[in-house]
Amino acid sequence: MNDVKDFTTVRIVFSKKGRARYISHLDLNRTMTRAVRRAGLPIWYTEGFNKHPYLTFAAPLSLGFEGERETMDLRLERDMPMDELVSRLDAVMPEGLRILDAAPAVKKAGEVACAVYRLTLNCPVEAVNSLLAQESITAQKRTKKKELVTVELKPVLDAAQGCVSECPEGTRWELTLPMGSELSVNPSLIVAALREQQGLPTLSAQVLRLRVLSKDGTEFV
Amino acid sequence: MALTLDELFDRVQKPARYTGGELNSVVKDKSKVNVRFAFCFPDLYEVGMSHLGMKILYGLKNAVEDFWCERVFAPDTDMEALMRENGIPLFALESRDPVREFDFVGFTLQYEMCYTTILNMLDLAGIPLRADQRGEDMPLVIAGGPCACNPEPLADFFDIFILGEGEEVNLELMTLYREHKQQGYDKQRFLKAAAQLEGVYVPAFYEVSYHEDGRVQAITPIGGVPATVRKRVIRDMDTAYYPEAFVVPFIDIVHDRAMSEIFRGCIRGCRFCQAGFIYRPVREKSVETIDRQSRCLCETSGYEEFSLSSLSTSDYTHLEELLTQLLSWAEEQHTNISVPSLRVDGFSEELANRLNVLRRNGLTFAPEAGTQRLRDTINKNLTEDEILETARRAFSGGWTSVKLYFMMGLPTETAEDIVGINTLGQKIVNCFYQNPNKPKGKGVTVSVSVSCFVPKPFTPFQWEPQDTLAQLEEKQRLLRESVTTKKVSLSWHDAKTSYLEAVLARGDRRLGAVLEEAFRRGFNLDAWSEHFDFDAWMDIFRNQGLNPDFYACRRREEDEVFPWDHIDVGVTKAFLWAENQRAHEGVTTPHCRQECSHCGAACFKGGVCVERR
Repeated sequence: MNDVKDFTTVRIVFSKKGRARYISHLDLNRTMTRAVRRAGLPIWYTEGFNKHPYLTFAAPLSLGFEGERETMDLRLERDMPMDELVSRLDAVMPEGLRILDAAPAVKKAGEVACAVYRLTLNCPVEAVNSLLAQESITAQKRTKKKELVTVELKPVLDAAQGCVSECPEGTRWELTLPMGSELSVNPSLIVAALREQQGLPTLSAQVLRLRVLSKDGTEFV
Repeated sequence: MALTLDELFDRVQKPARYTGGELNSVVKDKSKVNVRFAFCFPDLYEVGMSHLGMKILYGLKNAVEDFWCERVFAPDTDMEALMRENGIPLFALESRDPVREFDFVGFTLQYEMCYTTILNMLDLAGIPLRADQRGEDMPLVIAGGPCACNPEPLADFFDIFILGEGEEVNLELMTLYREHKQQGYDKQRFLKAAAQLEGVYVPAFYEVSYHEDGRVQAITPIGGVPATVRKRVIRDMDTAYYPEAFVVPFIDIVHDRAMSEIFRGCIRGCRFCQAGFIYRPVREKSVETIDRQSRCLCETSGYEEFSLSSLSTSDYTHLEELLTQLLSWAEEQHTNISVPSLRVDGFSEELANRLNVLRRNGLTFAPEAGTQRLRDTINKNLTEDEILETARRAFSGGWTSVKLYFMMGLPTETAEDIVGINTLGQKIVNCFYQNPNKPKGKGVTVSVSVSCFVPKPFTPFQWEPQDTLAQLEEKQRLLRESVTTKKVSLSWHDAKTSYLEAVLARGDRRLGAVLEEAFRRGFNLDAWSEHFDFDAWMDIFRNQGLNPDFYACRRREEDEVFPWDHIDVGVTKAFLWAENQRAHEGVTTPHCRQECSHCGAACFKGGVCVERR
């Protein structure tokens, strides 16, 4: 009877802000595993030599970025009310991590298509507009083989449904970037392009991921 | 324009070392706090956060409503450079306030090679290094921990050393400080009063005179302080404070698990081991206490593993009962129990399997010396038969590797003892091949790790010379050449680091100038081999007119006055000398539960010294 699933997969929505943005993806996995244990949830453990709770993240967030509505999947060995799960888990979270929502996972991780980001930049709006007006917008990216390659960002930014406005820090720029198996663009590349091509050596950016979207355009939750 | 702290975090490796905000870290309202304590660990976050003593003292101080203890670690070089560039002084993780603004800045002295890091941290905090340069507006700089049993090389830099176990005396000191602060704080008056507390050593109140050849002539107390300062001991471990929660780090640290202390001290009396003497007498916690504390820590941390902490797990008197009790809930909760330094001989197979002893810890042994003669000399009671029997048992269970720890440069050591290291390794290899059920197609690996012996204060070997670098290198060569099979793999520690450790371990106050020059030359994090520059250290000794061999490689006379003679750890100098003589005769000494050897620790009236035998 090994092919019968003995667990339910639950997708949890959480925010990751403030000091918690410096928790790396690998560390977040460990942090969440321990939180789930503290909350005493009926977590499902993997079989085998080294039994451990099974946690996955469909869309890992880069170190230093904040997230408004991040998701994590975990497996429960028996069902429990979702609101109880949320309150018990939220009560044991470290500073900066908040549990917002939970529901049985429906969409598959492969359905993640893009993400909406808000960049807060210490530069004038004109710098961003002038970057967007360029015929070519490029940035250097390191491949998995550690080679430096130049990527053309113009088509991505044209399709990004960007919204640029003034804010107390300088500029607020909201945009949608692809995040899928074929193409994935990290906002740090956009910031690098702005820094290099608009001559802004002291440019600093706070990155907030507002939501992750599925292929059908709805929120990935 | 200077960068802010947050902007620094975006530019460094592993920013979560510096951000604070971990689960169970304690943040208080500053306006309601009377005494602030910056607990400084002079090494990186990953090392310091693994340290049990810090967790105990952090919880203990924060349990007092108007005391606030925060954590401080040495920043790595990338962070330090950015902090200095941007004028950001050393700060505490919880409040991010500069360490300079605290009432107490307390360092733990775990290892001699951290001394330069301490000076660098003080400088980064904007605190003058020398105690006599610090006025009323500066924090009191204090230290405790194992190296405080000879704190003399650091005497110039510290206002106070705390001797022995800190649970009671830390609170007494902070309470005294609160009183003085309320009545108008005067540093000298406070230090005078503090020096009357048992376990509090104020180095400025002791004058040291030297013979012409550099040996200490006398240590004289001035201004009515006690002639000797006795270490503090917690008499009853069951009622002693133990934290209900550990700060749970985000990043992976060296020992990332809950820890349950099961006893303090050690009954064994291995003659090279400082911990075996300075923590006497042995005092155990009851099974119920350990069970309750372990369960509580796992619940509040969510840790998937906890380890039993002590100097020698197998010597716990109710070990099987304890492990059975712990396993009764740990298995159900998928929590692993890590049992370090467990001797598998005489241990039930069923329990060993449930604990996964071998899978988790591998099979490790510390015979320390290659021949029975030398093991008797150092009073290490582990026989070759015991080692081979355990190896056989492991091999018949399908295991294919064994790790052995040895020291070289031990007193009375000969070429035969060095070659004996390999002989023992070879015998274990033979055990593997004699096993009729050995796994097919698999070889065996016996890893032999050899460190260099460092004579330490308060051990029977405190009179002994360390081997010279040339002798150690010759012994390493001899050992290398004795190994004729690839099944024995050798590794060793750097002899130069051990040499400097030996200098600092038995050093006197004159070494303060050496440490200060080392700091001025930018030495920091010397415990990390990539930062350690031996030749530069030797250059500093020459500059300061001190010969490091005087400290490391000199045999002392029986009646020599040691720089640490005004410090009393309970164990007497007369007992240590008798042990030294027995070592040279090759005679072993029974352990505390077999027979009392009248070491002196009975003065504390606790633990094994008062138990019915």
